Amino acid sequence: MSEIITEGLTKRFNSFTAVDHLSFEVGEGEIFGILGPNGAGKTTTIRMLASLLTPTEGTAYVGGFDVVDDSLKVREIVGILTENPSLYDRLTAMENMEFFAEAYGVSDRQARSKKIRELLDFFDLWHRRDDKVGTYSKGMKQKLAIARALVHDPDVLFLDEPTSGLDPRSSKDIRGLMEELSRREGQTILLCTHRLEDAERLCSRVMLINEGGMVTIGTTDELRSQIAGTPILRVRLGEVSETVVDAVRSMEGVEEVVVDGNTLSMSVKDADEVTPYVVRGVVMAGGMVQSVEVLKPSLEEIYLKLVVDEDEAE
Amino acid sequence: MRLSKALLVFRKDWREVGRNWEVLTPIALVPLLFSVVIPLIAISAPGQVNTGTSREVLIESIMRGAPAGVMEMLAGFTEDQQLTYVLLVYMFAPFFLLIPVMASSVIASDSFAGEKERKTIEALLATPLTDGELLFGKMLASFVPAMAVTILSFIAYTVVVDVGTYGLFGAPLLPTLEWFLLIFLMTPALSLASIGLTVLISSRVRGFKEAQQISVVLIIPIIGLFIGQGTGALTLGPPVILALTALLAFFDLLIFRFSVLLFKREKVLTTWK
Repeated sequence: MSEIITEGLTKRFNSFTAVDHLSFEVGEGEIFGILGPNGAGKTTTIRMLASLLTPTEGTAYVGGFDVVDDSLKVREIVGILTENPSLYDRLTAMENMEFFAEAYGVSDRQARSKKIRELLDFFDLWHRRDDKVGTYSKGMKQKLAIARALVHDPDVLFLDEPTSGLDPRSSKDIRGLMEELSRREGQTILLCTHRLEDAERLCSRVMLINEGGMVTIGTTDELRSQIAGTPILRVRLGEVSETVVDAVRSMEGVEEVVVDGNTLSMSVKDADEVTPYVVRGVVMAGGMVQSVEVLKPSLEEIYLKLVVDEDEAE
Repeated sequence: MRLSKALLVFRKDWREVGRNWEVLTPIALVPLLFSVVIPLIAISAPGQVNTGTSREVLIESIMRGAPAGVMEMLAGFTEDQQLTYVLLVYMFAPFFLLIPVMASSVIASDSFAGEKERKTIEALLATPLTDGELLFGKMLASFVPAMAVTILSFIAYTVVVDVGTYGLFGAPLLPTLEWFLLIFLMTPALSLASIGLTVLISSRVRGFKEAQQISVVLIIPIIGLFIGQGTGALTLGPPVILALTALLAFFDLLIFRFSVLLFKREKVLTTWK
């Protein structure tokens, strides 16, 4: 079942089109990434889905609720990490959390305290709970803002650059948390990020947007095949012989074989399926396999190819 | 509208204001000046200007503005008593109106324009609180402290005046009906006007200081009242206070209609500077 459904979602500010006919669906428990350069329309998309902005055209449903007609319901089931941490510097971490928990309807005092303790413990902020947020570092504020987004156990999480300003260890913790929330709690996460590493590791699917419009959407593997056609399988041997090369060339699923020293590089349709047969074929032809490597373009390469090339073409 | 949610916003803003020295300083200093320092000077003024032309000029200029009814009432009083009474009970009343205007505009600027300036508004708007709950909570957070400061200042002023003039009159001068009407009818209406105006201004300025500076325009009619009172053109008696309160209440209604229209999530996020 889809937790987020948009159809022709558009936002115009006077003559400027910030989001241009976006149509996509995000399944329950899925981590879905939105990638794009600054000004691509990521934040405006999230703001419309969080019922903060009204779409100029099109429709959007979050958790089955219309973002325009059921805006309060949408806001109840959504947790949002905005571009800025949006925390009250003069209040303590505890006061910030208490305020937002109550605002999101967590009325039971005991349940609220337990949840806040659990989150602040997880983010290693419990010992600083009575300090004013103004005294926190950027990373601590970011962690507290994520904790705030989770305080009411939302069904859907909108995270705008969640690992921004965090050290590698905290970034890893956040990624782990997102995976856990998606897998164990079934929370749907919409992740806007510039960190392609985060998207590659976490997202089951990503959507690339540029100048408000969708460039492409799919799993990272689907995007890879869009730009690179097929993955490359690279096999390093003790010695390359004609028999081995002929054996590999005759195999089904292998498209083009290039010999470079003791290494055979070949385009394959499906690396997971073909690799065992290639290794077996090489060994049976008398080859000594030293290493096998599957080369896939990274999400960064896909991003540069699809988004930056599109900009340059204009 | 859920009152509990509006009160939640009120409590949050109340806590923030209580820790903000930029807001607290004017709220503490101005009332202190008007309710303690200036009345003390006014009480000692007649005794300090003892003889000669200065005394006559001072008395004449102050008495010129006093209403005829008051002068009749003070007919059997000494010159010092007349001067003190007119100064502290009549002339000073318009000055006192500055307290709720200043306090509510300072707090409202911090609450509306300040929240936008400090980039905390988006997370607040993303909560399932309605526009009405947010607006009402924030208005309460400006109105309650402003009225509290005004009433506390009035109590302090009454004590200072009554204690300071007891030797001269042998009886307390305050409170009078005029002061009661002024504090409990006119200042709430004025305070609400100031808050409404600040909401309007906050949607057009970049920061809370700018909002604060512009909302000072409300001081102009108060100065007008003071001049009117000083020249005898206008007396802040019960009929005038009631008429001005009615006028302010009408202005409040108008300005709040605009404020409600302006305080929509989308407008706050996109058109507020």
